[in-house]
Amino acid sequence: MSDRNNKVPFDEDNYTHNINRNNERMLDRRGFMKTLAGAAGVFAVSTLPWGAVAAKELMGLGDKEYPHQKIADVKDVKVGDSVKFHFPSEHDSAILIRLSENKYVAYQNACTHLRCPVYWVKDEQEMICPCHHGKFDASTGAPTAGPPRRPLPGIKVEVKDDVIYAVRVKRYEA
Amino acid sequence: MKRSYVGVILLAAILMMNIVFTQLVVHQYYYENYGVTLLYAGLNVLLFPVALFIYKKEKNKGGSKGYEERNLS
Ligand code: FES
Repeated sequence: MSDRNNKVPFDEDNYTHNINRNNERMLDRRGFMKTLAGAAGVFAVSTLPWGAVAAKELMGLGDKEYPHQKIADVKDVKVGDSVKFHFPSEHDSAILIRLSENKYVAYQNACTHLRCPVYWVKDEQEMICPCHHGKFDASTGAPTAGPPRRPLPGIKVEVKDDVIYAVRVKRYEA
Repeated sequence: MKRSYVGVILLAAILMMNIVFTQLVVHQYYYENYGVTLLYAGLNVLLFPVALFIYKKEKNKGGSKGYEERNLS
């Protein structure tokens, strides 16, 4: 053991001389495939939360009735006016529009394109998203122009004793 | 130098399906078709073991051998 390294040339059995670092960082076919498989894993993991929330919703936990929430008094909302409110939670901004004497519509006003707030333009009788000029039909919430493809989620409103209440979020009738 | 592109092509196809399924999951979720959402999410998860399987099977194919393989025999 002790005199082995003194021989010239000594036996090269120490496994250090043959480490070949050339091309170590090159992306070869195998490395590329490893990346692809890893990316598939990332995709798999990233869809899990969506699946979990969908499952929760399927089991009926998401369809609960929210407590009725007062939006405004009837006398404060003129025909053609709109009111902003928050429903069902304070992070879900929504908009109420009085289309005619007795017709109220309300929508969650996060644009279905990229969630910018949609607002009501009285002169054009349309809901407009400022971000990419998406437009929505006020009486149905359906997208009429621009990038959005899905209708705005409607909110059911109820008028009782001259007060407007938000009752629940409507499901899509798909 | 023999080449084997089968694995690469298959894995690329799987990644493509991953992208498509993810897109579908998000869209169907917002359309509130939760059953369909679950289906696509499940498919997306299933694609991962398939990708791993293909990788395991294909990694040693092809002519340009990696370091470990050159030193196997
Ligand atoms: S976010 Fe509304 S149109 Fe793009």
